[in-house]
Amino acid sequence: MLQFTSSDYADYIKKAYDFIHSKGDYITALDADTGDGDHWINMDMGFGKLNEKADELGKMNISDELKQIGMIMMSVIGGSSGVLYGSAYLSAAAKVKGKETLAMQDVCDVLDSMLKAIMERGKAKEGMKTMIDSLAPAVKAFQDALVSGKTDQEICELVARASEDGAENTKTMEAFKGRATYQANKGLGHLDPGAVTMSYQILTLMDCMKEKLS
Amino acid sequence: MGDGPEADDAERDNKTMKKIINDPTKVVSECLYGMELASPDKLEYTPELEVISRRNPGNKVALISGGGSGHEPAHAGYVGKGMLDAAVAGNVFASPSPDRILKAVEKVNADKGILFIIKNYSGDIMNFGLASTLAESEGIQVDSVIVKDDVAVPDSEEGTGRRGIAGTVFVHKLTGAKAEMGGTLSECKAVAEKTIANVRTMGMAMSPCILPAAGKPGFLLGDNEIEIGMGIHGEPGIEKTTVKTANELAGILLERIFADYNYEHSEVAVLVNGLGATPLMELYILNMEVQKILKEKGIRVHRTYVGNYMTSLEMSGCSISLLKLDEEMKTLLDAPCDTIAWKQF
Repeated sequence: MLQFTSSDYADYIKKAYDFIHSKGDYITALDADTGDGDHWINMDMGFGKLNEKADELGKMNISDELKQIGMIMMSVIGGSSGVLYGSAYLSAAAKVKGKETLAMQDVCDVLDSMLKAIMERGKAKEGMKTMIDSLAPAVKAFQDALVSGKTDQEICELVARASEDGAENTKTMEAFKGRATYQANKGLGHLDPGAVTMSYQILTLMDCMKEKLS
Repeated sequence: MGDGPEADDAERDNKTMKKIINDPTKVVSECLYGMELASPDKLEYTPELEVISRRNPGNKVALISGGGSGHEPAHAGYVGKGMLDAAVAGNVFASPSPDRILKAVEKVNADKGILFIIKNYSGDIMNFGLASTLAESEGIQVDSVIVKDDVAVPDSEEGTGRRGIAGTVFVHKLTGAKAEMGGTLSECKAVAEKTIANVRTMGMAMSPCILPAAGKPGFLLGDNEIEIGMGIHGEPGIEKTTVKTANELAGILLERIFADYNYEHSEVAVLVNGLGATPLMELYILNMEVQKILKEKGIRVHRTYVGNYMTSLEMSGCSISLLKLDEEMKTLLDAPCDTIAWKQF
C-alpha cells in the first residue's frame, strides 16, 4: 500500500525539476511556435526555486508543503502558469489537510482537486489546448483504474500514459486562450507547451510512486 | 511590410532599441522608484513586490488596481487622494502575481473593505482572483470590478471578451472620489459598475513599441499604414488602413463607439488619450475634431481630458473614450484628486 510522505513529495519535486530543466530547448521551441516563448524559462525558474527549498519542504506536513509549493510557484513562475499552479496546489493543500501520508486514493484526490482549481481559475475545460488536456485524462484514468481492481503499479503506468497521450492530443486542438488565439490557425498542428510540461510532472510523480511501491 | 514572414523578422531584427534605461530587467522597479521620488511625501514604493501605495490612505474603502507595466502613468500614477490607494505592477505587459497584490492589500487595508479594479485580461483576472481568495481567507473583505471598454473587441461570454483600456482611468477617478467621500464597499462597487457600463473606448496605432526585454518590436506597420482597434499590447485590431487625417480618424473611431452605445442627448466626459509617442499637438488636433462631431450630434461635454493617460511604451497612436454622465457621476468626476498623473482642484 502506498504511503507517500512529504519527504517523498519533496524528492518528486527534485526529479521534476531535473526533467523540466533538461527539456529547455525543446519546450522553448514549442512555445516559440504558438506563444511568447517564455514558458520554459518561467517553469524552470519556478521548479528551480522549489528544488532549492526541497529539503525544507520535505520536513513540513504534507498540507503545508503543498501550500508552500503553491505560493512559491505563483510568485516565481508568475503570469498565467504561476497563478494556475498556485491555485492548483492551494486547493490540493486544503484537500489533504490533517493527513500524514498519501495513499493511492489521496494522490488521485490531489490531482482531481488540482484539475478542478485550474479549470475554475482559468475558466477553461478540456479540448482548449492547455495544461488541462494532460491533467484531465490522467485524473480520469486514475479514477477509473482505482475501481477496476488493477495493481497500484499498473495504475501508475496507466495514469502516466494518459497524461502523455493527452499532451500529444493538443496537436489537433485549436487554442481558446492566450497568445495562440491571435494566430490565424489557432496553433493547430502544434503541441501545447503547457500540456507537455504538465505531462512531465505527472510522469515523474508516477515514477516516484512506482519506486516507493516497489 | 516585407516580403513574407522571414523578411518581416529580418526587418524587426534590424530595429535598434533606443531607450533611457539602465538594465532591461530592472525597468519596472526603477520606474516605480522614480515615481515614488516624484512625490515622496505621498507615495511609498515597496521594492521586489512592485507596489506603489498612499502613505496615508485614511480610514476608508481601499481601491487597488494594477496590471502589466508599460502603460504608465497607469496605474501607479493614479495613486493618491481621490483615486487609487495602491497600484500593483507586473513585468512589462504581464500580470502581477497574487503575492504582490496581497502586499498592496496589506499596505492599504483599513478594514472597510478592498475593491480591486481589474482590466479584462485573462492573466489579470486569474491573479487578482487568487489574491482575492487568499485575502478573504485572512478575513479581509474584498470585492472586484472588471473593466471592459474596448469596442474593437466583441464582448463575448466565450473566451476572454472585451479588453480593458484607457476608459479604466474614469473608473479610478469616479470610484476613488466615492471612496474618499466615505462610500461603503458596496456603494463604491456600484459607482465602479455604473462607470464601466457607461464608458466606451476605441483606439488606433501607427507604430509599434519595443519591449525592453525583447529589444525589438513585436509587430510592424508599413510606412503608410495604421491599425484601427489595435490593443494596448499590440493585439491585432479590426483593420489595417492607410494614414488618415485627424478629421477622418475622429469620425472612424467615434463611429465605432456610437455603434456600440447610444450617447444621444447625453452629457459626457471625453478622454483623448495618447499611446506614448504621439505628440500632444496631434492629440489636441484630434480633440478639436472629436468636439466638432459631438457638437453636431447634440452630445454635451461636461469635461475633457487630453494627454497620455494609458500608454503602450513608445507606441504611437491614440484612443478616444466617452463616459456618459448622470448627476452623481458629474459630482464624482468634479471632485478633487491629487495624484502624480491626474491633479484636479
